[in-house]
Amino acid sequence: MYQYDEIDQTMVEERVAQFRDQVARRLTGEISEDEFKPLRLQNGLYLQLHAYMLRIAIPYGTLSSRQLRGLAQIGCTYDRGWGHFTTRQNLQYNWIKLEDAPAALADLAKVQMHAIQTSGNCIRNTTTDQFAGAAHDEIEDPRVWCEIIRQWSTFHPEFSFLPRKFKIAVTGSPNDRAAVRVHDIGLRMHKNDAGEIGFEVIVGGGLGRTPFIGKTIRDFLPKQDLLSYLEAILRIYNQFGRRDNLFKARIKILVHEIGIETMREKVEAEFAVSKHGALKLPQEAIDQIAVQFAPPAFETLSGISAEYANAFRTDFEFGLWARRNTFKHKQPGYSIVTISLKKEGAPPGDASAEQMNAVADIADRYSFGEIRVTHEQNLVLPHVKQSDLPAVFKALKAWDLATPNVGLASDIIACPGLDYCALANARSIPIAQQIALRFKNWERAHDIGELKIKISGCINACGHHHVGHIGILGVDKAGEEFYQITLGGSADDQAALGDLIGPSLNTKDAVDAIDTLVETYLRLRKSSDERFLDTYRRIGIAPFKEAVYVSA
Amino acid sequence: MAKAPKLNSQPQIVTANDLRSGDTVYLTVTGGWTRRIAEAAVVANVEAGAALLAEAEAQAKQNIVVAPYLIPVDASVTPPKPVQYREVLRAEGPSTETRPAA
Repeated sequence: MYQYDEIDQTMVEERVAQFRDQVARRLTGEISEDEFKPLRLQNGLYLQLHAYMLRIAIPYGTLSSRQLRGLAQIGCTYDRGWGHFTTRQNLQYNWIKLEDAPAALADLAKVQMHAIQTSGNCIRNTTTDQFAGAAHDEIEDPRVWCEIIRQWSTFHPEFSFLPRKFKIAVTGSPNDRAAVRVHDIGLRMHKNDAGEIGFEVIVGGGLGRTPFIGKTIRDFLPKQDLLSYLEAILRIYNQFGRRDNLFKARIKILVHEIGIETMREKVEAEFAVSKHGALKLPQEAIDQIAVQFAPPAFETLSGISAEYANAFRTDFEFGLWARRNTFKHKQPGYSIVTISLKKEGAPPGDASAEQMNAVADIADRYSFGEIRVTHEQNLVLPHVKQSDLPAVFKALKAWDLATPNVGLASDIIACPGLDYCALANARSIPIAQQIALRFKNWERAHDIGELKIKISGCINACGHHHVGHIGILGVDKAGEEFYQITLGGSADDQAALGDLIGPSLNTKDAVDAIDTLVETYLRLRKSSDERFLDTYRRIGIAPFKEAVYVSA
Repeated sequence: MAKAPKLNSQPQIVTANDLRSGDTVYLTVTGGWTRRIAEAAVVANVEAGAALLAEAEAQAKQNIVVAPYLIPVDASVTPPKPVQYREVLRAEGPSTETRPAA
């Protein structure tokens, strides 16, 4: 894992000291709220409905056990004993006091973490595949490139006041688990005809009030040109992106308005000037970072472990969990474990400090001390020996962390919604809880199979509703919470935006409608191998629409 | 954020967030701030609302609270109940179980 050098550590500590001084001056009234607000936001501190919320960056979703224990400690010391993992691979504390925020950030710096690039119109924390460095289908570990982007983008003076926030995601696998087509820039690693590894560069994707699937601006970018090319895109965006209208300021609007061809011409012209400049990455620099992401000391194993095979055969619950919550590792004899933070009826993505400490202990014992955070609001143990899976299952189960539902209907993405968020129009968590409880029966849930339900409490789409197989958007209709339902969205390599099925529904009808949609799918699917999304793509919206609105 | 409704001559109170803690607070009749909506000063018309808000804004300048604003309430019940759902949640806290079980 990447370890801070002296420059990183000094930078983060100086930032904490600076913010401590800014908070002190705010509390004595030396600076006004108007002056202070952008400063606190640059340190991840938002003022939400009930309290300040502190958003912590988890760069590329990678945590050490020590860092996770640090997050647990901060949750206990300065918050109410838990944290919320978000769709940006971040962690949010919901109840931080302004006067405690500098101390919380100082504690965070002790474990090489911070809240930089979690707010403001800068290049935000880069996200990636949660299985990076472990997945069997990976071409190369994308975190090396995320870290290079981090070092280039943090406090980049030219890009600290962009027209709007800017999000970059990277996948090192052809099976996109990082939703790269719905980011301002998506980078997909692939091999060209000559067998060289480089990036497909996708630009102008995004969700929010005007969703777009990103467009390919360059099929193949050599690795050493990554930063020069990103800088060229950012420069064009900084120059031509709209600043007159907050809702039209993202790069997706620029790309949409001028077209991808014009965008490409401008970017390539800028790149032609800069590509031989200071940002061209020397191989030694890449290697120095890559070595920090070297695989852990795996054992050489072969065949299926007897412990694993035996448990799979004899322990029904374990088998269910292993089928849903493990993923194929690139190293023979190892598996990737997804820890569901979606126990049916619990707020999606929340973890108590005790659970975080437990996961840290389990990671130390069974996964080289490494943990990942997923944009689907779960945690991952990236490197578990298959022979240890029964023990890991047992240990997770003791902490209510072994719900066998990864990728199933109850593995719902939900933003904090109106229970916490000052921007929301409707609540997300209670409707997620109610829907998840409908799919608590494991037999039914596993029969339904993969179904991604994503819920946002407002049009800003933090809950990624546009790309849910079933998307749910909360709206305020004459003072009452209503929900719009979309179908057929997808965030993977076949990215698509969902289609609205009809008028919004009240909470109860919306929850019932999800059941109806699922029953319709079960009735109309060709076979149990055809996923909800595949059935939808095959038969279209009409049967679903009819089932929800005619039967109602 | 849901748009603040235009207030007419209807019962209204002033709310804000406490600068230090961020807590939801309400202006009281004595010009102090309370976390309990039951103790909020309720006024009944636009003019009195404007006067109440002016007092709150002066306190915001003194760095006691952040971003005060008026909200309509139903004053026929005790404690007064905000008209908007958002404000009910601010008054009562999140509607969900606020801590993971384990």
